[in-house]
Amino acid sequence: MNKCKFEDQIDSYLLNKLEGGDKDIFEEHYFNCTSCFRKMEERNELITAIKARGAWIFKEEPVPERKSLVPTFERVYSYFTPRQWATVGISAAVLLVAVFGILPLFRGPAPQFYLSETEVVRGESLSLISPIIDVKMAPSFFEWRELGQDVEYKIFIYNQKLLWTASTKETRIDVPEDVKLMMVPGYKYSWQVRAFSPKGALIAVSSRVQFEIKGTE
Amino acid sequence: MKSVQLQASELNLDEVVEKYRTVVSFKVKKSLGTQTPDWEDVVNEVMTQVIEKVKKGEFRGESSIGTFIYTIASRRIVDHIRQKTKVLKGIPEPAVLPDPCDDAEKRERARVLAEAVQRLKPKFKEVLDLYYYQELSRDEVAKRLGISPRRVSERLNYAQKLLRKMIRQ
Repeated sequence: MNKCKFEDQIDSYLLNKLEGGDKDIFEEHYFNCTSCFRKMEERNELITAIKARGAWIFKEEPVPERKSLVPTFERVYSYFTPRQWATVGISAAVLLVAVFGILPLFRGPAPQFYLSETEVVRGESLSLISPIIDVKMAPSFFEWRELGQDVEYKIFIYNQKLLWTASTKETRIDVPEDVKLMMVPGYKYSWQVRAFSPKGALIAVSSRVQFEIKGTE
Repeated sequence: MKSVQLQASELNLDEVVEKYRTVVSFKVKKSLGTQTPDWEDVVNEVMTQVIEKVKKGEFRGESSIGTFIYTIASRRIVDHIRQKTKVLKGIPEPAVLPDPCDDAEKRERARVLAEAVQRLKPKFKEVLDLYYYQELSRDEVAKRLGISPRRVSERLNYAQKLLRKMIRQ
């Protein structure tokens, strides 16, 4: 549908921005053009409404949270009388004092936990140092970071199954020759260290690190 | 001459009055302001003059009937502004009496429309605010909002489309 060339002047006319000959021409046009007149009437309604109520229409929007929270608060508040609310408040305060202030005083000693070899105390981390990448020949020692004094470490070396295990209080252990002979080039091995407290409780388990003995070329 | 008389005789005066009363009213109100109490009298005078002139054969079809009525209305408005007096003697009753509920209906429509504008998305409301309420030019609105003047026009048109839809519902 073709747009009438005078349509663009509707706003200017209604907002009194059209003057002189242009105004006369436009007025004569809408006496002859039903389409423009209809559109102008509609636009005039909008402009009149906006002019009359603009202050209300374009007022600052209230904060959305306020909109939704206020009625909710009022609804909840109306459940009880002020005196009942006071009772509820005092009861809640007494309950909080009882739960967090008094009850802990009567609490017994903390329970003792004993960990099996497959369990670990979270928070301690045991990092392995060497070997953590592929090696040319069977490693002559394994090394890890210290976790604390009097900690006993137990090392486990696996191929498919457990190949060798040993304990030490050091953070490094030499591999016996007979074990080294079992570690042959072309195969993958993994190792892991577990740390035990002086009382024998498991306190940390390292991640299991895999390495391959590549062999010398 | 024959064809001119034929054109004039083809006019159904009741239809002409009914159709153009709204247009003339619009023009008169726009020129005199809706606050002028006698704007309806001026409209009646214009319509009466139109009827009389057509009956006298003064409408010869040299222009359209719209232009003919526009000319009569413009002159009458100028006269009214000059005289600022009522000249109502001998004026017949208007063909369509103004509806006493008209103002109430218009007020209600304006209220509904204002509420619809209020519910528009902020991007449409701000354009209507700046362009129609604050009467900034299209370019000024564009600059204020950081968009192109074309986009301003698009938003104005779309806002009006939405309002039409909201009011129909």
